[in-house]
Amino acid sequence: MKKAFLLLLCGALAFSACDKNNPEGGVKESDLTGETVDLSEFGYTGPRKIFILNEGQKGANNASLDVIRFSDKQYLSGVFKKVNPGAGGLGDVGNDIAVIGDEVWIVVNNSGIVEVISAEDEKEIAAIKVPTPRRIAYDDDYVYVTSWSGAFVDGHYDESNHYVVTDSANPKGQVYRIDRKTKKVKGSVEVGYQPEGIGLLDGKLYVANSGGISSQIAPDYAYDHTISVIDAASFTVSETIDVVDVEGGTRRVVNLKDVYVEPFSKKIYFTALGDYGGNHSGLYYIQNDGKIYLASHYVSVSARYFNEIYCIGTEQEFDWSATSKDWSAWSWSGNHKVPLFYSFLKDMAVPYGLCLYNDRILFLSDAGDYFNPGTVTMIANGEKVWTVTAGVCPGHFAIW
Amino acid sequence: MRRGITALIILFSVSWSLRAQEADTLSAASVVSERERPVLRPSEEVRLDAQAAVPQQVADVLNRFTGVQVKDYGGAGGLKTVNVRSLGSEHVGVFLDGIQIDNAQNMQVDLGRFSTDGLQSVSLYNGQKTGRLQTAKEYASGAAVHLRTAQPVHPDGSGGRVRLRGGTLGTVNPSVQWDKDLLPGLTLRTSAEFLYSSGRYRFPYFDTTLVRENGDIRSLRAEMMLLGRHKGGDWRLHIYSYGSERGFPGPVIRRALGFPFSAERQADQDIFVQGSWNQEWNRRYATALRLKYANNYTHYCTHAEKDPMAFPYDLHYRQQSGYASLAQSVTIMDWWTADLSTDVQYNTLASDVGQFVSPRRTTFTGALATRFVREKFRAAAHIAYLGAWDVFRTPDAGGWSRQNAWRDAWMPSVSLSWQPFPFLELDAFCKRTFRLPSFNDLYYSLMGNSSLKPESALQCGGDVRFAREWGNWQVEARVSPYYNRVNNKIVAIPTASQFRWTMLNVGLADITGVEVKAEAGWSAGQWDLRLTGRYCFQQALDHSTEGSRTYGNQIPYIPLHSGNLSLQVRWRQWALGWDSAFTGERWSRTANIADYRIDPWSITDVSLQRTVTLPPLRRRTVPPSLVFSIRCNNLFNCHYQIVQGYPMPGINGVAAATFLW
Repeated sequence: MKKAFLLLLCGALAFSACDKNNPEGGVKESDLTGETVDLSEFGYTGPRKIFILNEGQKGANNASLDVIRFSDKQYLSGVFKKVNPGAGGLGDVGNDIAVIGDEVWIVVNNSGIVEVISAEDEKEIAAIKVPTPRRIAYDDDYVYVTSWSGAFVDGHYDESNHYVVTDSANPKGQVYRIDRKTKKVKGSVEVGYQPEGIGLLDGKLYVANSGGISSQIAPDYAYDHTISVIDAASFTVSETIDVVDVEGGTRRVVNLKDVYVEPFSKKIYFTALGDYGGNHSGLYYIQNDGKIYLASHYVSVSARYFNEIYCIGTEQEFDWSATSKDWSAWSWSGNHKVPLFYSFLKDMAVPYGLCLYNDRILFLSDAGDYFNPGTVTMIANGEKVWTVTAGVCPGHFAIW
Repeated sequence: MRRGITALIILFSVSWSLRAQEADTLSAASVVSERERPVLRPSEEVRLDAQAAVPQQVADVLNRFTGVQVKDYGGAGGLKTVNVRSLGSEHVGVFLDGIQIDNAQNMQVDLGRFSTDGLQSVSLYNGQKTGRLQTAKEYASGAAVHLRTAQPVHPDGSGGRVRLRGGTLGTVNPSVQWDKDLLPGLTLRTSAEFLYSSGRYRFPYFDTTLVRENGDIRSLRAEMMLLGRHKGGDWRLHIYSYGSERGFPGPVIRRALGFPFSAERQADQDIFVQGSWNQEWNRRYATALRLKYANNYTHYCTHAEKDPMAFPYDLHYRQQSGYASLAQSVTIMDWWTADLSTDVQYNTLASDVGQFVSPRRTTFTGALATRFVREKFRAAAHIAYLGAWDVFRTPDAGGWSRQNAWRDAWMPSVSLSWQPFPFLELDAFCKRTFRLPSFNDLYYSLMGNSSLKPESALQCGGDVRFAREWGNWQVEARVSPYYNRVNNKIVAIPTASQFRWTMLNVGLADITGVEVKAEAGWSAGQWDLRLTGRYCFQQALDHSTEGSRTYGNQIPYIPLHSGNLSLQVRWRQWALGWDSAFTGERWSRTANIADYRIDPWSITDVSLQRTVTLPPLRRRTVPPSLVFSIRCNNLFNCHYQIVQGYPMPGINGVAAATFLW
């Protein structure tokens, strides 16, 4: 019996000896199949594709791109890796995505890459090197990417495209400007600490500075609470707005995250995450007269549609011992809160990304435990239509 | 004395027949009586030859044991922690001469830092260690790894060893050890070891081959030990100092060209002083007193000036701990003993991390144990109590706060052993242990949750052991089924924000497994052959949240099947070793899907050793010897990963020359 066992073990050893990975051959996007999903709510007017960026977990190199393909109603997973097998995956921590013309620009934070792919077939067009890129905005000529690079070091690229470090003393972040045609970096401008969201309105870029890293650094351990305004034409900072105190507010506004520019009333909306202590998260806006107002507290996830900002949040956001949280949703319609009765929220662990197709159809992602794949849910008329498994931390959407 | 003849790298516990008795720490000279016999023998034990020429890291030795998974991040400087029967490394106590090596900050001991140099044995207890005069912490740990330093035995009153070792990955590793009998019954041992390794090795990355960078290490270990022996007792004082400076190569991820994977570096300075005193006061009463002071300093820096992608952290930590343990044993009848062990420990952690709360912990552990040892039947039972009192400074309160500071737990255990025939032995145990939340779990500024409860582990298992000799043949086999349940498992859970996580007691895992070990030995004349096969089946299922998509999946990094095969051949002064290890498919996440599957791997190591005995030196009776050895790791150059994103080295080798006198 023992001999039999030893033989078995030997067999197992021989069998397994050094598994070689066969790199999969490239797959055409049109060949991919996934899960069939119900898109009848869109009628005949739907988009061609919706791209979903799964952030992945830092250090695990598992950012991935999912696509809802409307032509044959397929939900496709891990498309970038399948179509571009030589690239080594999308990278580590996908942080933002935007459809710009017929291109999809994907910000891959911990890979230091802004990935440009074709919206048509997901083939790689360019991989642009930007240190720790975060969020993206664009105009007709340029794409603007906020970067925490400054938080780590101050430096520049030399002629051979090597990063030359000049200083490492707790410097500020940057906004990089990339030429849409040549895909080359055309300069950068210094903003506040760890810039996050960026929005463009009337030739001005509004950049939300978080200070997420400087809050961990001696001696101040302080979050940022400013919005940098950049004049796009001259690409220089024209103004820095301190938003720490709002009209009639009692809490300090720190650790800024998203920026939404509302082109109709020209309001600049922004969200703040707060300091994880007494100062909670919230949605705020800068009025045309320059005054800053509070829209609502407890905003974890938000998205803009037309002149409305949809929000999801919970008062238990800083309750570290709560095993489940009581999420609620509402929209801010410019001057008041409109509650949204989403019964499916109670089944969600962490609402993580929100995408509004219009005021009737939306997509909401659940990050689950942030470690295993999350889900994407389609919602129409306030009801859940379907839920599919996405990648790890599905968090950002773009419509083509 | 067969002094010059050394085993391979490891001498497997060849002589470990069922009648053999455990060499207890208690007075090596005294004859071990029936009552010293442990109820459960170690699941695995490796006797290390004091003269073995190629020392390994303790992690390499443990890697071969059944039920053990070493988590290895690769290279000489990479972190190596050990899981036993799918219990997290926090449940595995590592003991050096009976005193725990612990780390209140993260509850993990990096076994890569301990070399087998100077050790006499490495033992693993999957179940309960049931010796005499144990510390309360030995009763209170889930599984245990025991390292025992070798007793210097020199007929000439002094002796030593000089070794030079070097190899691929830029490894240079000289060491020296010197023993001297100062007085009758008093011996001084001093030793020092230096290690440098460049940690550079090639690994495949898609279509290209990259070189692992920033994985170099320099370390220096210096030790001094005083060993005293007197009537009815013995004592030892051990001063240990270890300093290292190393790089962390970081996970292999997609990175823009020109950005390194990592520039992180860490410097450590560990010092401890530990002492123990065992005394048999009379036929019925014995005590063991153990004391320890440890001071561990860590400087961690991300070197953001070299890595534009890194967070600019430059952090310093200092952990200190003071420990005292008194174990008392009363022999009620010759076959019945009762023990009372009481331990007190005080831990502090200081750091310049933002919003750091400088926790201080006082831990009391007590255990009341009893043992019955008869010829064919042995039994042991104990109840241990763990109480921990934390004090920490909350950032907003500004002073010392005591919220949620008291944690305690009762830990019972029963072990039985029955030997119906001389060649067959059956045993079983069941126990519950708790591990305290670490300082990182509780107080890490962007994650901690100070209201955590201790994590609990229920362990049940049994062994069927068979051992027999036929002429030149010796055969041993062991089959050990087991069941473990870990609940209130401490898991990192995200909160409403991606930047702020929290730790919660939400995990639940059920682990069912069986270990099989079979060993056959043959010796005749100058030949000695030994073949050992091990196989382990582990089904470790996540049962945290019913209805979740990962419910019932295999927990990360635990292979369903694993095993190894080793052959040792000795002939005259030559020794040859062959080791093949196999690990089946694993997943890096609880989602057991293709994206997170880690390929199975198997690697083979071979070694060859030759001992040359030299003529005796003047005025000495023991002849000196020279030992030459070479070792080739990963002979078939297999590219594999133990931890996702951390490629392991391909084929590599070491050679060593040792002079012993």
